[in-house]
Amino acid sequence: MTWLAAEALLPSRIQMAFTLGYHILLVPLGVALPTLTLLMEGIGLVRKDPVALKLARRWSVVMAVQFAVGAVTGTILSFEFGILWPKMLGRFGAAFGLGFAIEGWAFFLEAVFIGIYLYGWSRLPPRLHFLCGLVLPPAGLLGAFGVLAANSWMNTPGGVSVSPTGVLDVDVWGALFTRALGYEFWHFLLAIYITCSFAVASVYAVAWLRGRRDHYQRLGFGVPFAVGAMLAPWQVLVGDLSARALVFHQPAKFAAMEINWTTRDHNPEVIGGLLDAGGHVNLGISLPALDSILVGYSPNAVAPGLSSFAENARPNILEANLTHLSFDLMVGLGSAGAVLALWYFAVLIRHRRLPESFWFYRLAALAGLGSYVSVEAGWMTTEVGRQPWIVYGAMRVADAVTDAPAAYVWTMLGVLVVVYALIAFFFVRVLLGLAARWRRDDGAAVEQGVPYGPPR
Amino acid sequence: MRTALADVIAGALLLAVTAYSTAGGVDFGAGIWDLLAGRKERGRRARELIDHAMAPVWEVNNVWLVLAIVVCWTGFPSLFQAAFSSLYPLYTLALLGLILRGAFFAFRHVAGGQSERRLADLVFGVSSVLTPFFFAASLGAIASGHLEPWGPMPVAFGLVSLAATAFSGASFLVGDARRHAPELVDYFRRRALAAALALVVLGTLALVVIAAERPQLLVAMFTTAALPFVLAAMVFTPLAAGLLWRRVFKLYRLLTVAAVGSLVIAWGVAQSPYLLPGRLTIEQAAAPGATEVLLIVVAAGVALVIGPAIGLLLYLDQRSLLRSPEA
Repeated sequence: MTWLAAEALLPSRIQMAFTLGYHILLVPLGVALPTLTLLMEGIGLVRKDPVALKLARRWSVVMAVQFAVGAVTGTILSFEFGILWPKMLGRFGAAFGLGFAIEGWAFFLEAVFIGIYLYGWSRLPPRLHFLCGLVLPPAGLLGAFGVLAANSWMNTPGGVSVSPTGVLDVDVWGALFTRALGYEFWHFLLAIYITCSFAVASVYAVAWLRGRRDHYQRLGFGVPFAVGAMLAPWQVLVGDLSARALVFHQPAKFAAMEINWTTRDHNPEVIGGLLDAGGHVNLGISLPALDSILVGYSPNAVAPGLSSFAENARPNILEANLTHLSFDLMVGLGSAGAVLALWYFAVLIRHRRLPESFWFYRLAALAGLGSYVSVEAGWMTTEVGRQPWIVYGAMRVADAVTDAPAAYVWTMLGVLVVVYALIAFFFVRVLLGLAARWRRDDGAAVEQGVPYGPPR
Repeated sequence: MRTALADVIAGALLLAVTAYSTAGGVDFGAGIWDLLAGRKERGRRARELIDHAMAPVWEVNNVWLVLAIVVCWTGFPSLFQAAFSSLYPLYTLALLGLILRGAFFAFRHVAGGQSERRLADLVFGVSSVLTPFFFAASLGAIASGHLEPWGPMPVAFGLVSLAATAFSGASFLVGDARRHAPELVDYFRRRALAAALALVVLGTLALVVIAAERPQLLVAMFTTAALPFVLAAMVFTPLAAGLLWRRVFKLYRLLTVAAVGSLVIAWGVAQSPYLLPGRLTIEQAAAPGATEVLLIVVAAGVALVIGPAIGLLLYLDQRSLLRSPEA
C-alpha cells in the first residue's frame, strides 16, 4: 500500500484533514460577515435606525470572536505545512507560497481594521467608523484569493519549471492564476457568502419560530437571507461549470466524483452508491447516460473513468467513494438552498412581503447548518479527489511527508484534537452566552417601555 | 542583482522577526505578568489592565509571525524545509502556546464562573511562556549551526527571550497604568526593573554559552556590522531601566523596543550571509527571481499600507478612542 510508505503519513494526513476541516468552518463568517455587518450598519446610518445599528454592533462582536479563533487556527496551518510537509515546501515553496504572501498581507490589513472597527463603536464618529469597516470586505476577498490561488496551484500546478532538487524558475502570473483558480475562486467565494448569509439568517429564523416578530427579528432575518437567496441560484451554475472543467483539468478527480470506472460514452450518472474493488457500483440510483450528457450535452460524450489511470495516480477505492459521496452531498444541499431561495423570491414577488409559512422558516433555520455541511463536503471533494497527489501530477503526498517518527505525529494529533475540542466548547459557550445576554437586554428594554435605544 | 534581491528579502525576514519579537513580545510579556499576578485583589486589577492594554492590538502583533513564516517558505524554501525537518518539536510547542493563548485570551473575557475564569487565566499565562521560549530556542538551534532542538544554545536563546518579553511587557504596562490605573504604575515599574536585571544577567550568560558553543558567532557579533546593535542592546537596556528607576516617564518604551529589537538584529547580522551557519547562505537558499520580485512588492505593501494602518490603530488606541463594544 503506497499510503503506508512512510509511517508518519497516516497521522499526518489525518492531522492536516482535521485542522483544515476545522479551520474552513471559520472561513465563511471570517470573510463574509464584515460585509453583512457593514450592510446593516449602512442601513442603520441611512435610515437612522437604531435597531439596525444594534444588530450591526452585535454581529461585529461575533465577527471578532470568530476572527480570533480563525486567526489562530489559520496560523497553525501555516506551521503544519512545515511540520508535516517540509519536502513539499522545500521543493515548491517559491511557487506555492506566492498566494500565501498575498494572503499574509491581506490578513494584516484585516487584523488592523477589525481592531479599529470593533473597538471604535463608541468613540469614533459614525461615518469614520463605517469607512474604516469598508476596508474589511476587500481585504477578506484578497485573502481568500491568495489561499485559493495556492490551493488551485496544488490542483493544476503551473508557472514553474522544476529540477529534481527544487524550483528552477517561476512565472509569477502563471503560478498565481492557474487553470483551476477561475472556477475554484468564484465557487468558493459564493459558497462562503451564501453560508454566512444563511447562517446569520438562521439565527433569526429560529427567533421567528419561537414567536419573535418585531423589527429586530425582521431586519436580522431579512437582510442576510436576501443576500444568500440572491447568490444561491448562481452557485448551481458556477458549480456546474466547475465540474465540467474538471473533466479536462483533473480527470481522475472527476472520475472519482462520479465513481466512473471505465472511460466511455453513455456513462450513467450515479446518485449515492459505492464503488467496489472490481469496479462495480453497488446501491445508488443510476441514471443512464446522464453523466455523458452533463459532460458533453450528448449521450455520445466520453466521460473519464478511474481505470484509465495507473493505480498509483488515481484515488483508491475508499478515497473515490468518499469523494463521490461528498460530491453528491454538496450538490444535494446546494440545490436545496437554491430551491429555498426560489421559494423566497416567489413569495416576495407575489405578495411583496417575507414568507410567513412555518415550513419556510424551519427550512431557513436548517439552511445555515446545511451550508456548513456543504462547504465541508465540497472541500472533501476537492482534497480527497486529488489523492494520491499533494501537487497534482508532480508530487505525491507520501513523498512530501515529514521524516518525524509516526509516534510523534500521532501524539501531536492527539494533543491538537483535545485542544481544538476545548476551543470548540468555549467558542460555542461564548456565542450562546452572548445570545442569552442580548435576549436578556432586549427583554429588559421592552419591560421598561424603552424601545431599543441606541446601544451605549 | 540576484544576490541583492535575496539580501533585501533576508533583511525583510529579519525585520519581520524583529517586529514580532518586539510588538508580539510586549503581549507575551504581559501574559507572563498575568501568570505571575496571583489571586489577590491587586492581581485582579493588574489582569484587568493587561486585558485592556492587549485587546485591540494583540492580533495585529501576531500577524508579523505569519508574515515571517510565509516570507521564509516562499523566499527561502530550503531554509524552511531544513529548519522544520529538524526543529519540529520546538515549533510544535511554540504553536501549542500560540493557539491556547489566542483562544483563551478571547474566551476569558466571557468565561462564566470563577473556576472557569481561573482556568482560562492559567492557560493564557502558561502559553505566554511557551511560545516566546520555544520560538527563540529554534533561533538558538539555527544559530548554533547544528539544528539540534535540545542544547545549550536553544535554552540560552529561550531564556533571554523570556527576560526580554517580560521586560517589554512590564515597560509598556507602566505606560498603560499611567493612563488607566495610576495605582499600578509602581507595581509594573518594579517588575520592569526586575526583568531588566534578569535580561542583563541572562544576556551575559548567553554570551558565555555562545562563546563555548559557536565562537564564530560571538566574534562576528563584535567585529562586523552587528557591533552597533550589540552595543545598542547593551546601552539601551540599562538606560530604559535607569529612566524607570528615576521615574522619568519619557522615552523608556522606545528604548525598551530598541534594546530588544537590537538583540534580534545583532544575531541576524552576525550570522549573515548564512541562513544556516556553515551550511546554507542567503544566495544558496534564494527562490527564483520572479518570486523575489513579488515578495519585495508585498514587503513594500506592508511598509506603505500596513505601516500607516498600524500607526492609525496605535494612535486611536493611545488617544483612548478604542473601547470594548460590550462595555
